[in-house]
Amino acid sequence: MSWRVPLANVEIPEQDVEAVLDCLRSGWLTMGPRTNEFEQRFADHVGSPHAVAVSSCTAALHLSCLAAGLGPGDEAIVAGMTFVSTPNAVRYTGATPVLCEIGGPEDMNIDPADVERRITDRTRAVIAVHFCGYPARVVELRELCDQHGLVLIEDAAQAISARVDPSGRQAGTVGDLACFSLFSKNQLPVGEGGVVTSPDEQLAAKVRSLRSHAMTSVTWDRHRGYADTYDVVDVGYNYRLDEPRAALALSRLGRLDEQIESRRELARTYRRRLAGLEGLGFVWGDEAVEAGSHFAFPVLLPDQAARDRFRERLQELGVQTTWYPAIHRFSEYREAFGEQSLPSVEAAAERHCALPMGSGFSSDQVEIVVESVQQALADELGAAA
Amino acid sequence: MTAATGTFPEIPFFDLKVEEEDLEAVAETLRSGWLTMGPRTEAFERTFAEYVGAGHAVAVSSCTAALHLAYLAAGVGPGDEVIVPAFTFAATAAAVIYCGGTPVFADIAGRHDLGIDPDDVERKISDRTKAVCAVHFAGYAAPVDRLKEMCDARGIALIEDAAHGPGGSLNGKNIGTHGLAGCFSFFSNKVLSVGEGGMLVTDDEEVAQQARTLRSYGMSSGTWARHSQATTTYDVTALGFNYKLDEPRSALLASRIKRLDADIARRRELIMNYRRALGQMSGVTLPYRDEDVATASGYVMPILLDDPEFQREFRARLRERHGVQTSVFYPATHEFSAYRERYAGVSLPHAELAARTEVTIPLFSHLTDEDQQRVIDAIEDALR
Repeated sequence: MSWRVPLANVEIPEQDVEAVLDCLRSGWLTMGPRTNEFEQRFADHVGSPHAVAVSSCTAALHLSCLAAGLGPGDEAIVAGMTFVSTPNAVRYTGATPVLCEIGGPEDMNIDPADVERRITDRTRAVIAVHFCGYPARVVELRELCDQHGLVLIEDAAQAISARVDPSGRQAGTVGDLACFSLFSKNQLPVGEGGVVTSPDEQLAAKVRSLRSHAMTSVTWDRHRGYADTYDVVDVGYNYRLDEPRAALALSRLGRLDEQIESRRELARTYRRRLAGLEGLGFVWGDEAVEAGSHFAFPVLLPDQAARDRFRERLQELGVQTTWYPAIHRFSEYREAFGEQSLPSVEAAAERHCALPMGSGFSSDQVEIVVESVQQALADELGAAA
Repeated sequence: MTAATGTFPEIPFFDLKVEEEDLEAVAETLRSGWLTMGPRTEAFERTFAEYVGAGHAVAVSSCTAALHLAYLAAGVGPGDEVIVPAFTFAATAAAVIYCGGTPVFADIAGRHDLGIDPDDVERKISDRTKAVCAVHFAGYAAPVDRLKEMCDARGIALIEDAAHGPGGSLNGKNIGTHGLAGCFSFFSNKVLSVGEGGMLVTDDEEVAQQARTLRSYGMSSGTWARHSQATTTYDVTALGFNYKLDEPRSALLASRIKRLDADIARRRELIMNYRRALGQMSGVTLPYRDEDVATASGYVMPILLDDPEFQREFRARLRERHGVQTSVFYPATHEFSAYRERYAGVSLPHAELAARTEVTIPLFSHLTDEDQQRVIDAIEDALR
């Protein structure tokens, strides 16, 4: 059975296809002119001075943690509600991720007060996640980090174009480093890919060096005759993006703003059409909806059992949904760090369900989702009666 | 720095040609709208496994990623040593460090054979050696038959860095299939190229399963499995990574692998032309023997200058007088700043001499006979 409405859909119009084919016809696939141009345009879009394209947002996070100086013995405070790659990246460096609380089921972003409580002598960085594309309170965290001399990293995997303050400043411009995803399900999808932005030239240079084995020149430089050999000055990685993906990202970047607006409109529609239904709640308020860039649209059910039944019923009706488990409840994290208690994260993880979200859904598909949600909730009430 | 001309070479040392059928395959994938690792990647993994004759193939984001996963499969962790050649790309050693292990550098056989020297490997095996990694330099098989016996006798894992394959073989068995795991590269300048990409092959089902889990965050199910309704949620059971390949690259690889045998045949023909012409010239030595070429992948054409002081000047002459680009495969890993700092006092005479005398000359399957003759004439002139 295929979904009537999948969780996300990626439409790749002919102009994108042509951009990729042009690149392939050129025969130059290794990180080069298209990647350079994409980095420049991406930096402009976000409003950050430096952008470095990488192979994934996980790679972006790893390199950011390294650039932040994280290593064995250090701690980084990480939002407890996120995808597993956020704390994983801390662990790759040998440092320890300290998971912290979120506002609660109605505000699934990092709680600055809990961050403050978890700061120790070993804390070196804080990683704030703009969950589902709704802006985290990074301006507040910026102050906190400055007071304690901590590096602030924004995990903006889900939040390109989100606005973090009333002036319209974008996610990824407040931290010392910010990480974006170009994964298929994200707002600017190319398959696998990521970007690091930074206001700091030295941090950006460090990321740039480590993404390509800390080599002092890259293939493109040598091809053009700007270098004839190289040194390796650190233990680096192969976290390069390649030219076809950079070409695709470049082509799509021009349409990003209108697609984000279309996602926002879908969020507004959901909130209008699903408002007041018994047994269903929203995460965040109208203001956050206007500021967010809408990677996903989470709704809340009364408890885990109701949420699981809701998802099952939607699946029967052909609507794909997902949810984010709490990191500290994964087998791997239980084994590595023992049992931890993060009540707000747990409640949010147990109660939320993300509905289909994207810029290319037809009004018929939106109608299917709305009616299916109504149906699932009606069935639930009927069963209870 | 010589040869920093800031111009494109007339004859590059590698070049890549993407054919119409490749473009179609990528276009069709993009139009499908499904970009995340899924049916096309699975199909290409089966094709590749069959091509090299391995039980399992796991597509990853690069050969560096494949090496990292292979060392993890061998159980490499803090305190462990892995014996690697120094005459290779830095990733071979770097991936050991990712695992918390220590790379122990072995020398190469000599000017006739730029692959790892099994006698030196034997000398460097210690109680802490967890694995040996053999690089099949330029696509010529390393002595993995002997290394395998040596490793088996001591309960050490043999990993093959087959970045310079596929298509090479030893005793009728493909390189990359002799040890616990073989790692391939699909980087742009490789025999089978796609931009960035890699593959881990193995006959061991557990190794394959672990690599599959770790390439995708240690998750118990992937996006495709959830999309295709095989499951609706997941656990995370290990500290994993994002080493996934995506569908457009898998589609491109699946299309290009169909021409791989023909490409390799042409590469071997070009290598034999070079050997006939350059074998006559004084001042240059050709590693390997004519009869080795038939079972090599033909990845690159390494030549060795007799004078170690001449490498830069020789390359500059080729570039500036003749527009011929060359490369050096490779600066020795243990001589890079990052490695000198960490592992001081390593001395590997053969690798060091090779690094100072090696020059990689143009080789790619669509290099024409005329352009090859230009390269040969240029070398003759530059040697004068």
